[in-house]
Amino acid sequence: MKLTRFQYLSLRYPYLLAAIIFILALLVNFYFQKSILEPNTINNNLRVFLPLVLLAAGQSIVILTGGIDISVGSIVSIVSALLATRVGLEGAVEQTLIWFGIALLVGIAAGSINGFFIAYLRLQPIITTYATSFFFGGLALFILPQPGGGIPKEVAEVYRTSNPFGLHWAFYVIPLLIFVWLLVRQTRYGRYLFAVGGKAQAAYETAVPVNQVIFSTYVISGFMAALSGICITLLTGSGNPQIGDPMTLQAITAVVIGGTAMSGGVGGVAGPIMGAITLGVIKNIISFANIDTWWQTFVNAIIIVTALAAPGVISLFRRNKP
Amino acid sequence: MSISLSAQNIVKRYGGVLALSDGNLDVHTGEVVALIGANGSGKSTLTKVINGVVVLDGGQLLLDNKPVHFPSPQAAKRLGIATVFQELSLVPQMTVAENIWLAREPLRTGGFVNSKEIKIRTEKLLKLFEGTYRAAMRSDVPVASLPPDEMQIVEILKAISFDPTLIILDEATASLDSRQVQRLFELVLQWKSQGKAIIFVSHRMEEIFQIADRYSVLRNGKTVDAGMMKEISEKELVNRMVGKESAYGFAQSEAHKKVGEERPIRLAVNNLQTKVLKGIDLTLREGELLGLGGLKGQGQRDLLLSLFGDIPHDGRIAIYDKEVDFSHPRHAIKDGIALVPGDRSREGLLPIRSILENLMLPSWTNYGFPLRMRRSYEDGNQVASSLNLVMNNLDDPVNSLSGGNAQKVIIGKWLNKKPKILLLDDPTKGVDVGTKGEFYRLLKQVCAEGASIIFYSSDDEELIGLCDRILVMFEGKIRAELAGSTLTKSNLVAASMGVAEGNIE
Repeated sequence: MKLTRFQYLSLRYPYLLAAIIFILALLVNFYFQKSILEPNTINNNLRVFLPLVLLAAGQSIVILTGGIDISVGSIVSIVSALLATRVGLEGAVEQTLIWFGIALLVGIAAGSINGFFIAYLRLQPIITTYATSFFFGGLALFILPQPGGGIPKEVAEVYRTSNPFGLHWAFYVIPLLIFVWLLVRQTRYGRYLFAVGGKAQAAYETAVPVNQVIFSTYVISGFMAALSGICITLLTGSGNPQIGDPMTLQAITAVVIGGTAMSGGVGGVAGPIMGAITLGVIKNIISFANIDTWWQTFVNAIIIVTALAAPGVISLFRRNKP
Repeated sequence: MSISLSAQNIVKRYGGVLALSDGNLDVHTGEVVALIGANGSGKSTLTKVINGVVVLDGGQLLLDNKPVHFPSPQAAKRLGIATVFQELSLVPQMTVAENIWLAREPLRTGGFVNSKEIKIRTEKLLKLFEGTYRAAMRSDVPVASLPPDEMQIVEILKAISFDPTLIILDEATASLDSRQVQRLFELVLQWKSQGKAIIFVSHRMEEIFQIADRYSVLRNGKTVDAGMMKEISEKELVNRMVGKESAYGFAQSEAHKKVGEERPIRLAVNNLQTKVLKGIDLTLREGELLGLGGLKGQGQRDLLLSLFGDIPHDGRIAIYDKEVDFSHPRHAIKDGIALVPGDRSREGLLPIRSILENLMLPSWTNYGFPLRMRRSYEDGNQVASSLNLVMNNLDDPVNSLSGGNAQKVIIGKWLNKKPKILLLDDPTKGVDVGTKGEFYRLLKQVCAEGASIIFYSSDDEELIGLCDRILVMFEGKIRAELAGSTLTKSNLVAASMGVAEGNIE
């Protein structure tokens, strides 16, 4: 098989494109907002970006194995609704922590439902998670019909204002995520993720437990979505049963910018994390450049369509040469 | 290390088709056994039974004189049976080293993959083929960036990386160059001396004679002969594969057998090349039924698809001296070419739509707007009766028909457009005998009406019985042209095994 130089580079260095886009976005942002590199601004920004970072990290594992999880936004919404109603603004701190734990279990359960349908009943990932996204979204609205409620102020303040050693929590969480990923990469399970996404049939013939691997990716994605839900509830301090809706597309966009191939088998978690931050920076640019906010969605859509179409466009031009 | 495997009276059915009725194979420590057979003789089925890819329906497998059962390829692997697949089992995006050790990675404490160890072991394995691959092939490059021969080497290394006792080389040499083949053979000799056993399947007769100690011949699903390579000649081996020349089940008029040399040439192909084809020249006359033979996967499908404008190709194609360059099947259809694809349900038919819709699919443009349905039913019924189609109603879904009748519909949809050149890609696969006969008559009739046919079939008898002239393909080239007195089964089989031209009678 002959690879173009571009294909070869993107196989060897999947994060290359993500890094280039990230630096470009940062430069543009700096042009509009000179304070972007000040510690305070960075802290503020990362605090806002972290929920999407977590969501993108989970999504990237699923996409790495050739699947997709469209239900993550709804899982975020469920968590927000749960915390806002079960804990409430007047709740105790211990109660909040218990419900954080329950929220994570809910995420795992939701991911297991997706994983069961996709890995064991062999349903299409995109259809399955699209359908369950309505199921989860409906549950969120059932729990909390309108935005309202919230979590105790003292818990939310820990996330919003405290900066241990002068840096926001995100500064510790993001490197930790990347570190864990680098460890996972070095395990058999890590290799299985790439093998299943690359060519499931070959992996199966080589005794890789393909179904279990696929199942596990949706569980991880569900867990990360719940974590993201906790994070965004901490950020806002209040409940909103539809807060996750716009986040699904953003998470997928982040994964795509991060150099993880939609067809699976190439990429990782660090790229999508960078992608999520890049999206946040683009959002900043749009608000500081005084452009209408709908441009945000527009830019996301353009990025996704371009990324999906690029391989097809390239092969279209190369097609009629034997 | 010693091993002895014995497959006895193996039976395997795929649906109603008996692929193997009495397969036998013995292989012992320190020897290479060549498994030989023509198309459809059951040799790939027998290897799949031995490596656990399919489960046998009858007979038994003995490993070291004890009965064994392989429900999966992994079960066979655990007992030391490795297969080098022709269709590679590699993950393209992963590196050479990652592929070789996938799911068997050496681990450090804590469950982490020991990359250093993997690298060392991979480089040791790569040394086995040192000097036969490019410098760019290293343990840490993605497999997708390798050419086919190097991918095949990785596949071989992957199979031997767990030190098996029985190695099945299923067409493992097909994409290797001659230096790499020689290196593989040197390794085979080493493995023999280590006490391993090797089953060797190849479409190249010269390789079989070079490396094998014994042979086992399959014919029509039965093992018919086995013996020492030393005691048999190429020609005799071909005879064993062919058996007695069998008379074919339908009459062939001698008059038709001689193709009129005086008839004008309709299609001329010069130096046709694709990824698979390496320079094909052929001519096709009006009313001729030209056969395309050879073992599966030697480029027959590429040839038909290129002529149909379905895949990119180089070379000169001319219809009646007018050069054509089809870049889309649409163009080919316009010039009177039709393709009947091999995979009925996937490429040839719309399975859940009606017989009428399937018959009319290429011709709806002739029925105006809105579609003149009554005329389409009349034409449909006419085509159906000329095809002798066994059906209740044109509105029935086409998948309610039997395989043979469904195949007639595919031909019928083109007959409605009166094609000049009909390309057939193994159309009688899985069709019952009775319907086959009707199908042959139909082809003869189409030819008699002046159309030309190129007919690829994996059934050698059928080609010989039906065609005026056969081109035998071997590794993307035409190995032999058989016509008149040279049109015999042993010549066909010999040419498809790459036997030198001089040995073909």
